[in-house]
Amino acid sequence: MSDTVLLECDDLVKVFPGVRALDGVGLRLTAGTVHALLGENGAGKSTLIKVLTGVHSPDGGRLTWCGRQVQLRSPLEATRTGIGVVHQERNLIPGFSVAENITLQHPPSQRGLIDRQAMTAPALACLAELGVDLDPHQPVRELSVAQQQLVEIAKALHTESRVLLLDEPTASLSPQEAEHLFEVIRRLAGRGACVVFVSHKLEEVFAVCDTVTVLRDGKSVLESAPLADHTHDDIVGLMVGRAHTATELRPRTVDRSAAPTLVLDAVSTAGGHRDIGLEVRPGEIVGLYGLVGAGRSELVKAVLGLDRITGGEVRVHGTPARITSPRQALHEFGIGYVTENRKEEGVFLEQPVVRNITVTVWKRLAKALGFVSARAERDLAQGLVDRLCIRVSGLQQNAGELSGGNQQKVSLAKWLAADTKLLVIDEPTVGVDVRTKRAFHELIWDLAADGLPILLISSDLAEMVTLADRIVVMTDHRVRGEVDNDRDYDRVSGRAIRLIHDRDTVRS
Amino acid sequence: MNSVNTLAGQGSRAAGALRRFSRSTAAMLLVVVVAGYVALGIASSGAFFEGPSVRVFLQYLATPVLIGLAQMVALCVGQLNLAVGALGGFTACLMGVLMADHGVPAEVAVLVGLLTATAIGLATGVVIVATRINGFIVTLATMTILLGAQYRLTGTRTVDGYSRTLRDLGTSAPLNIPLVFVTALVAAALLAAFMYRTVAGRRLLAAGGNPLAARLSGISTDRQIVVAHTLSGLLVGVAAVTATASLPGVNRSVGGDWLLPSFAAPIIGGVALTGGSVAVFGTVLAAFVTRLIDAARAQFSLDPSWVNLLIGLVVLGTVAGGRLHQTRLEKSPQSPTALPQPGGAQ
Repeated sequence: MSDTVLLECDDLVKVFPGVRALDGVGLRLTAGTVHALLGENGAGKSTLIKVLTGVHSPDGGRLTWCGRQVQLRSPLEATRTGIGVVHQERNLIPGFSVAENITLQHPPSQRGLIDRQAMTAPALACLAELGVDLDPHQPVRELSVAQQQLVEIAKALHTESRVLLLDEPTASLSPQEAEHLFEVIRRLAGRGACVVFVSHKLEEVFAVCDTVTVLRDGKSVLESAPLADHTHDDIVGLMVGRAHTATELRPRTVDRSAAPTLVLDAVSTAGGHRDIGLEVRPGEIVGLYGLVGAGRSELVKAVLGLDRITGGEVRVHGTPARITSPRQALHEFGIGYVTENRKEEGVFLEQPVVRNITVTVWKRLAKALGFVSARAERDLAQGLVDRLCIRVSGLQQNAGELSGGNQQKVSLAKWLAADTKLLVIDEPTVGVDVRTKRAFHELIWDLAADGLPILLISSDLAEMVTLADRIVVMTDHRVRGEVDNDRDYDRVSGRAIRLIHDRDTVRS
Repeated sequence: MNSVNTLAGQGSRAAGALRRFSRSTAAMLLVVVVAGYVALGIASSGAFFEGPSVRVFLQYLATPVLIGLAQMVALCVGQLNLAVGALGGFTACLMGVLMADHGVPAEVAVLVGLLTATAIGLATGVVIVATRINGFIVTLATMTILLGAQYRLTGTRTVDGYSRTLRDLGTSAPLNIPLVFVTALVAAALLAAFMYRTVAGRRLLAAGGNPLAARLSGISTDRQIVVAHTLSGLLVGVAAVTATASLPGVNRSVGGDWLLPSFAAPIIGGVALTGGSVAVFGTVLAAFVTRLIDAARAQFSLDPSWVNLLIGLVVLGTVAGGRLHQTRLEKSPQSPTALPQPGGAQ
């Protein structure tokens, strides 16, 4: 049973104008396994998934399903073959019930009339197979993101998928939800399916996967190998293509006696924060650590005027500040906010790179009658593109065409263009590959070394330990304590985690 | 044991459905309609509850209901139909001219009218899908063309010498319930059954709710756009028939004031402009509300300009209220996270 090969690809090639997105990829998916598909952004994972699900047809190579050569000409054909996929974006009909979404492909019907009774049983069966307890009659829009994801997996079960591709399934899940998802994945593999797990989080990959394929520059550098034979560092080395060394950054010292740029003094907000105290000094990186939902982004948004501050005082450069809008935060106080959600809040996807970068400084560039010189815009943008090593084909390229990491850099560039006096960076490296992550870390570090105060929000403890000078730990909209970072991962992470979990000891 | 469980399950489901309904726009509108009607009744010292008043009230309700439904069908796949009024006016004039000037029997003229309106809707849908031009622009063009055609048909005259039978049907009201109103209600009921019960209707909604997900499930979104415009055309055709039957005559001004009410009814009724939702009951009730405003205007002999002002305000108020409600839902921490904006739903 366990050595039945379900899907095999051989020497797959896919060429887009100017790029060989896939350049000889091999992959062997065996029944009953959880298969990790790894690679940096741009290594070809998305293209491979699109080829396997019939969205793109390959320009070369062979696909075999259970020993027979197949051609997948459309997503529907892939589904019929038995290949299901759960994308990063939710693909459900929000107004429909759970049961109707699960049976959407072939809704049970009689003479053109939907039979709602008949869709309940198969939906319940699929949900039960996943060990998920959901009301099949509930509209999907009322479910959480994690629940919606499970509905999508149930939908794939309903179409009898034997290969299930999960693209970054944990990106928007809390740790508990992710743990539940892993149980579901193991359960599916136990039933003889093959689950392909795409993730940037190596810890998860090692926790749940059996075999691994690593892509680099469109080639498979490690092909369907048992994961147990490889260490964390091996895999990173394969992905990056050079030995991974612990990030080395030039030394940087913080003048703790300098006057803080931003002070929060006993701040409460309408969102539920109470008694928040925080200081950020010039050249200092202050980390704001906590679990998802601890209220970190919400706190920053309140400071920027996107939510109401109900008590306490915010001081910028020593003077009390009433900030009512991000516009005021930027123009009067020089506070820039690099958002977590770059696709929806950070960049204008349909706009060229140059305009994305200069949006914050149009006022400064503008001459008489609000005319913005194209040349001034171009010069400024080019400078930042070079400085941040943003990979673009040209300044006129639309931001939407860039990879995730480069989009994040564009988002950062626009704040640098504005000469901000304080930078708030929210989850800078979520969904970003290892190499870009390092480049980002160096960038943030250098900005601080040049004297810029930075407030860094991250759920990645390793990132915190690498970058932050002090780590402020938050849970339930309150500050639980502060850890001085001496860059010893075990010691610092231990203290931070203890602050989250042992609330009583902190209070006493 | 098993049946008990099922019963309990159904009970809780019914309770859930009831709870959902009590929070819905339709429930709110139902309260507004009943309260408004009672208030008008009291203000008119009971005259408003009497047969003739009820009859007049319902007589002029048929058209707003039907054009609201026609717009709703277009909205449910994320499209819109600017040609509702022009198509209705053109169809009404076409039927009038066929009967009065060419002696075509009423049944044939009505059939030709319905088929023409449906065919024009179909053509609109096909053009939108084939050219990939935004539906706004295509229906704007259709509207202008049809306005020209309507003028060409009637010129400046009013065509009124047509079928007595059709007129009689249009004004007859057994038990003070006008037939045209019954027609509108039947159309609404059929449409509701189509949307909630048939596979074809669910496909329409799926394509409107999340085009990408629908495509991945083997549903052709292009086909759904064509179906929606065709259905919209058919409903406009029905509206034109009721208008022709109940108006004293048809001329170039028929349909001229349909566009705002056609949007007002579904929007007040709780239909999302982004597609994926229908509210047949809500749309019918919203048409009631706009009609109530009109009736109140007549009752208190206010200036007619108040009606449009009020309807405009109600539309804005509903949309703003819906927005506020949405924001409050998103901010309350215990509510399940709302769907991330489906990227393909623009």
